[in-house]
Amino acid sequence: MSGAVPIVILVAVTLFVGVRLRRRSRPMQTLRRTRSAMFAPRLGVIGLIAGREVHARIRGRIFRVGTVLILAGVAAGIIIPTLSRSKHTTEQVAVVGALSAPLKAATLASAISVGATVQLVSEANAAAADADLRSGRVDFAILDARKLEVNKAIDQNDSSTTARLVQAISTTLGTAEAFESAGLTAAQASKIEHARPLPVTSLQPGSATAVKRPTSVVGVVLLFLMLTQYTTWTLIGVMEEKSSRVAEVLLAAVRPVQLLTGKVLGIGVMVFAQATLIVAFTLGLSKAVGSNLLRGTATPQIISTLVWLVLGYAFYCWVYAAAGSMTSRQDQVQSLALPLSLPIIFGYIMALTTASSGTPSTLFDVLAYLPPTAPFAMPVLVGFGQVTWWEFTGSAAISVLCTIGVAMLAASIYGRAILRIGRRVRLRELMSGAAR
Amino acid sequence: MGSALELDGLTRRYGEIVALDQLSFSVPAGQVVGFLGPNGAGKTTTMRAVFGLTDLESGTVRWRGAAVDQPVRRRFGYMPEERGLYPNMLVGEHLEYLGRLHGMSVTDAAAATSEWLERLGVGDRAGSKVESLSHGNQQRVQLAAALVHSPELLVLDEPLAGLDPTGIDAIGEVLRDLARSGCCVLFSSHQLDLVEDICESVTIIDHGRLVVNGNVDDLLTSGPRRLVVRVEGDRDGAWARRLPGVTVSEVDRGAVRLVLDESVDSDYVLTSAMAAGRITEFLFARRRLSEVFREALA
Repeated sequence: MSGAVPIVILVAVTLFVGVRLRRRSRPMQTLRRTRSAMFAPRLGVIGLIAGREVHARIRGRIFRVGTVLILAGVAAGIIIPTLSRSKHTTEQVAVVGALSAPLKAATLASAISVGATVQLVSEANAAAADADLRSGRVDFAILDARKLEVNKAIDQNDSSTTARLVQAISTTLGTAEAFESAGLTAAQASKIEHARPLPVTSLQPGSATAVKRPTSVVGVVLLFLMLTQYTTWTLIGVMEEKSSRVAEVLLAAVRPVQLLTGKVLGIGVMVFAQATLIVAFTLGLSKAVGSNLLRGTATPQIISTLVWLVLGYAFYCWVYAAAGSMTSRQDQVQSLALPLSLPIIFGYIMALTTASSGTPSTLFDVLAYLPPTAPFAMPVLVGFGQVTWWEFTGSAAISVLCTIGVAMLAASIYGRAILRIGRRVRLRELMSGAAR
Repeated sequence: MGSALELDGLTRRYGEIVALDQLSFSVPAGQVVGFLGPNGAGKTTTMRAVFGLTDLESGTVRWRGAAVDQPVRRRFGYMPEERGLYPNMLVGEHLEYLGRLHGMSVTDAAAATSEWLERLGVGDRAGSKVESLSHGNQQRVQLAAALVHSPELLVLDEPLAGLDPTGIDAIGEVLRDLARSGCCVLFSSHQLDLVEDICESVTIIDHGRLVVNGNVDDLLTSGPRRLVVRVEGDRDGAWARRLPGVTVSEVDRGAVRLVLDESVDSDYVLTSAMAAGRITEFLFARRRLSEVFREALA
């Protein structure tokens, strides 16, 4: 399992070096031709604009570094717990006096229950055991199956393997002693030890909430990070096209709605590509290293997270693009960014809280049908297994319909505001029908 | 040659300000036309109107007799007053991209990009980022961006601003060549001497209204007579300011440029100059475009 980690790292490094070498060895003309081919429009002018956007983002350092950082974070989240889990602890336990076969077996079973292996070390007497304890050769001692001895007192909050093992063995041996004091035979004691709890039945099937909860939280966090990143790209990208006046050159050849659509489509392609890469990387790495991070995660939950990332971006990108067209400077962008991000932050906090608690409220159920918050709420409900396919589809349909309305409004605002340089354009001015 | 671009009754207001006031004029094909006017006259708004970049209250822009729409505009080239290119894009890629937006194929756009960059003297910068170029070279690339798709109409807002004399010569030559090949060129500038050298016609507007529209040669040879007189020891033309019917148009390092009313005899001016001192220069001069401009706006 842990042997897969170097292989994964080796493959990643080889791929990276290979791509770099290939790029360096390719003639400039070929490179240029390839880049030009990326602009080849399958979708006409809009495809051309989207292609430029994709190309610019891929070449931009922010995207490459951001993607690498996200992948590194995901890799750390998967690999580190695996490494710590695979670290097998062997506890050295000094034994003074005889330890009967049942007690020995019970001791070893206690070790397994705390994820450790026990090696019993016979000591001639208590003094020898004390000496080994002090020197650290043994972790603790069992004295005549009546008492446990440690070098330093164990704190009540100590969660180390040794502390948990001492606690478990002391309970086991104490129980055995109690059985003996009660005069139970070995068979009776064994019967009590192997007592099985009564079965508990329920009227309705339970959900796999607890198992899926960590995945829901991870999904919500990734959704928030990516939506924030991409909508900010849209906002700043539109503002830069306006402030650098390149919009005026482009709009001499294309319609505002084509320029706007091409831009959000290009960034949208990047959204889906990056999200797919992250999901594929997460699944692949989890499988390779045997991580249980995604264990129990149903495919629908992953797909729904991806679907809502795209739907969320599709809804918000128009809003942010329209806002970007109303600004000409960075400080104007900052003054708009906070109010724009409030619905996202609200949806994120609600989703995170609910995913952690595992009990969605009625309000949360409603939020799953409102386009601004549905990208966060619906994947969480899907994770809880509380959504039927038609509820999911209904929420998606509401989101798509609202997105069409928002896009039409955004295109109108964009067309009127994109060439107004100087102070920030007020929505009131645009709504009052002011001309370009 | 007939009019290719026609602007008919353009009106545009920004609140209380009237930017264009029933502005009408036309631009013939195969000519370089200078578009002049003081700051705020409405030149940029007019140019934007040609590309549909501003909403008009009234008026029509026609190209070869038909109303201009988006497919037609893709055959036009535009260089706005505020230069606009993606700073992080490579120069060659940028021009190819703009060529493709105007409907060129990948191959044609690449060939035209190389050709125009070479012709404008920045052929070696195709692989550089736009932001890494000097101001003058960015200006050349911006012009190439307007030319890459071989436009039928070229509209340039202050294309000569900030260029060195070599750049001005290069762009002037390009504009004349384009006009010779049948392209219709309209460009604005405040450098009137350069406009005089480059353009065949000029259109002057003020407060959104047409003031002058005509052939440069006709405008420069029309109007009252002009004399340039230099009198030894006289630096400000004080002697001429006292003469009735004579206006001092300009004083340039002792050379006084005079505008004579119809009633004034040039011999009278010569006699007056001789009385003021020894004459070192006395000649009849053509009207300058700067004078046409000032007189039109007076």
